Amino acid sequence: MTEEPSQSPFVALIGGKMEEWREGYVRLSIRLEPHHTNPHGVMHGGVITTLMDEVLGGVIASVRGMEAMHAAPHATVEMNASFLSAARPGDELVVEGRVLRLGKTVALGEAEARRRPGGRPSGRGKDDLIAKGRFTFVIQQRQ
Amino acid sequence: MTEAADERRRSPFSAFIGTEMEELREGYARLSLVLEPRHTNPHGVMHGGVVTTMMDSALGAALGALRGEEARRRPHATIEMNASFLGSARPGDRIAVEGRVLRLGRTVAFGEAEARRGDGALVAVARFAFAVGGRDG
Repeated sequence: MTEEPSQSPFVALIGGKMEEWREGYVRLSIRLEPHHTNPHGVMHGGVITTLMDEVLGGVIASVRGMEAMHAAPHATVEMNASFLSAARPGDELVVEGRVLRLGKTVALGEAEARRRPGGRPSGRGKDDLIAKGRFTFVIQQRQ
Repeated sequence: MTEAADERRRSPFSAFIGTEMEELREGYARLSLVLEPRHTNPHGVMHGGVVTTMMDSALGAALGALRGEEARRRPHATIEMNASFLGSARPGDRIAVEGRVLRLGRTVAFGEAEARRGDGALVAVARFAFAVGGRDG
């Protein structure tokens, strides 16, 4: 098992925390605070897209291995995300990522962000799924 | 556009990461940020989340300016987005993001955004869909 990659300074800045990292699965969490919001008082979508990118870059690294990553880094080229439910300060979110496909030049990952059960009651009994995303990475071949 | 309205368009999260609002009018917004080491990923380049945040903010503000008071009573919310990352950026670079509303309907709105480096190179492009008023949650 290769060692865990270092966290992005940007993820540390916004308050994301690594919870689990193993081959094929990565999970991060974040406790939402007022500074995570948009003008309407709900979580800014950028919090989630940042954590999804981090989780998926990490899960692809977990499968490729650190040596392969240093020889030929992967970089996000495309992403799409659906925002299904609002999250608010006080909520704790977990973001999980899995590899959909890892090829020689392209990798695909899928991430889900959920409100952690046991936090703020969801009121209308809604599902705790906050967002889903799918990211494409290119593996840059060194000459 | 009054200063009070401008403040309402500002996102606490955008301000937290260091974004500045440069220009705002109905259907258009431009934001900027000077990249610092705290904005990077482990490879030392800008984290993709910086531009996705700025593009979401630019469009949210552009849409808010277009909708006016209605946006305060029935806030819009991002429901879908897609983005392509075309180039990298490093600490010291100044990133400018423009957001433009493509269409404002009764229940859904669409917008597009572009992020550029100081030298004019495109760093990212994105397209967003927003639910407009009446959404639960």
